[in-house]
Amino acid sequence: MKAFKSSLRFFAGRALSVLLLFAAEAGVLYSSNYLFFLEVQGIAGYSSAAGKAVFYSMSRMEAMQKPSLGFDYVQKFAGAGGDIATLAVQARLAVNAEGGDTIEPQLYNAYLRLKLGGSYIWAGHNRPKFGLASWFDSHGQLLQPTAMNGFGFDRDWGVGLERDLSWGNAGVSLTTGSGMSLYLKGNYFLSGRIAKGVLNRDNYTVGLSAAAGKVLDVMGVHLMNDKPALFEMLATDATWLRNNWENRVEVMAGKRGSTAAWAVFWRTGVGLLEESRLKLEAQPAVFRMNGKTNVQVSAGISYSAGADWTLRAMVQRDRETKDTRIVFQVYYYKGMRL
Amino acid sequence: MVINTPFSKSNAGVLITILLISCLLVLPLLAAVGCDLNDPDRDVKRLFPESTGYKTIYVSVAQKGGEAMLRRIEERLGDKFQGLYETADVPYTMYQIFKGRDLIGYIHGVNQKGTYGGIQVFLAVDLEGLIRGFYFQKLTSQFGKQLRDEAFGRQFTGLNLRDFFNYDVASGTVKGEGKLTAIKNPAPQAEADFRAALRATKKNLILIDEFLLGNKYLQ
Repeated sequence: MKAFKSSLRFFAGRALSVLLLFAAEAGVLYSSNYLFFLEVQGIAGYSSAAGKAVFYSMSRMEAMQKPSLGFDYVQKFAGAGGDIATLAVQARLAVNAEGGDTIEPQLYNAYLRLKLGGSYIWAGHNRPKFGLASWFDSHGQLLQPTAMNGFGFDRDWGVGLERDLSWGNAGVSLTTGSGMSLYLKGNYFLSGRIAKGVLNRDNYTVGLSAAAGKVLDVMGVHLMNDKPALFEMLATDATWLRNNWENRVEVMAGKRGSTAAWAVFWRTGVGLLEESRLKLEAQPAVFRMNGKTNVQVSAGISYSAGADWTLRAMVQRDRETKDTRIVFQVYYYKGMRL
Repeated sequence: MVINTPFSKSNAGVLITILLISCLLVLPLLAAVGCDLNDPDRDVKRLFPESTGYKTIYVSVAQKGGEAMLRRIEERLGDKFQGLYETADVPYTMYQIFKGRDLIGYIHGVNQKGTYGGIQVFLAVDLEGLIRGFYFQKLTSQFGKQLRDEAFGRQFTGLNLRDFFNYDVASGTVKGEGKLTAIKNPAPQAEADFRAALRATKKNLILIDEFLLGNKYLQ
C-alpha cells in the first residue's frame, strides 16, 4: 500500500506537467490529436433459468453487456520532440430493465499513460497485467474471457509499467483488486505478464502471467463481499491466427479464498465473407472455484453490417446455473469530432 | 475507505443521455475502423533508427475535404473506395517522425481487403514522399511469410507516388515501363494479397500526399 501511494504521488507530478501541455497543444488545421467515439448498444435475449426475456448477456449484476450509451476518448499529448502521453477515458450509462438502479454508470478506461524512456507507466483505471484480458479487448462483445468469470479483472484501479520488446512485451501492475469501483479495505492485486510473439507481426503470441493479492468479490459496480480473499494464480495464454481462423486458449491455476481454483478456456473462430464480415465462434470453458466445477459452452455469431454497425448473437449453456440463453446485440460505434 | 465511481445516479444520467444523442445529430462523424501502429515505439525505431520521437495525428477525408476530396482520391487511385475500411470518414493515424525537434519523415498505414479478412500495409516515407520502409502489420495468410520477408519490402524502397501513376489497381497491371515492373511476387499462391499490397501502397502514398505533402505528386 505504501509503494502504491508513493507511485501515485510520483505519477501525479508527471501528469500535471502533461496536462499543462494539453492547454498549449495546437494541431494542424485539419488534423487532431484525439479520437472520440460514441457507442450505443441494444441487448435482448431469453434465459431458460429465468424463464423470461432478459436484457443483459451475463447476469443482471454484471457490467457487460447491457443496453447502454457510452463513449470512448483517446487524447495524445506531445512535446516538441513527439508524443509523451496518452489519456484514455471510456464509460457507459447502462440501462437495467430490472433491479434497483435503472441507469447504471460504468467506467472502463480512465487512465493516463506516460512514456518513461523505452517503457510506459500508467495510472488510473486500466487492464491489470494478468492473462488474456490484459490485452484482448472484448469491451463490445457478447463472448467474454476468463477474467469476467472471477479469474482476475477486466479493469482495475492502480498503476502499471509496460514495455514493448523486439520479441514480445512485458508488464506489471499493482491495482486495488476491486474492479470497476474503487474500494480500499486492505485489498490489492499484484500481477505481471510476459509474452513472446507480436500477434499482428508473427500471427501468434504466448503469455505467462502471475498474480497475487487479496481481492474483493465484485460483480460490475456491486460489492458482493467486503472481506478481501486470497488470490494466487498462474496463467498461460496463447493466441494464433492462420488464414481466416483465430484461436485463443487460456489456462489458469491457483487459489482463490481458501480453495483451489482453476480455469481452462478456448475460443475458436472463423471469418467468412469479404473482409471477414461474418464471424463464427465457439467458446467452451471450465471453471473450478469454491469447490465447484462449472462447464460453460458458448457459440457466437457476429456480422459487420457496415463500418459502424455490428450485429451479434450468442447461445450459451451454463451447467452450474442450469441456464441456456440466447442473446442478441445491436452495436454501434462511431467516431466524431468535438 | 470506500470511494464509488464518480458518477451521480440521478437526473444527471438522463441529461447526459440526451446530450450524447444530440452529438449524433450535430457533430461531424467518423467511421470506427482506422489503422494505427500496434507498437509504435518499436516500429518507429525500426523504420527510422535515427529518430528520437514521434507525434501521432488523426486526420480524415471527411474532415479535410469531404466528398470532393474523396472523388479526387478515387480518381488518383483509379478505383472506388469501398467496403468496411474505405469510407470518407475513416480516421487515419499518421505519425510525424522526429530527430530532436526536426521532422524527418512520416509513417502511415492503411487497411486493405485481403484474401483472409483485412491486411494492414505500413509505409515509412521521407519528407519528399520517397518510401524508405514497407511492411505488413497484419497478414494472416499461410503464405504471408514470403510476403512479410524483408526482401519483399526492400523492393519498394526509393519508390514514390509517381512510380505508381501507371499502375492500374483494378487489373493489377503496369501500363508501359516503370520501376513497378521490377517488383516480384515471392508467393504466387498469394497473388491476391500481392495485388492487394500494391493497391494499399498506392492508396497509402496518395493519402500521404493529400494530408502531409500538400499534393506534391498531383498529376
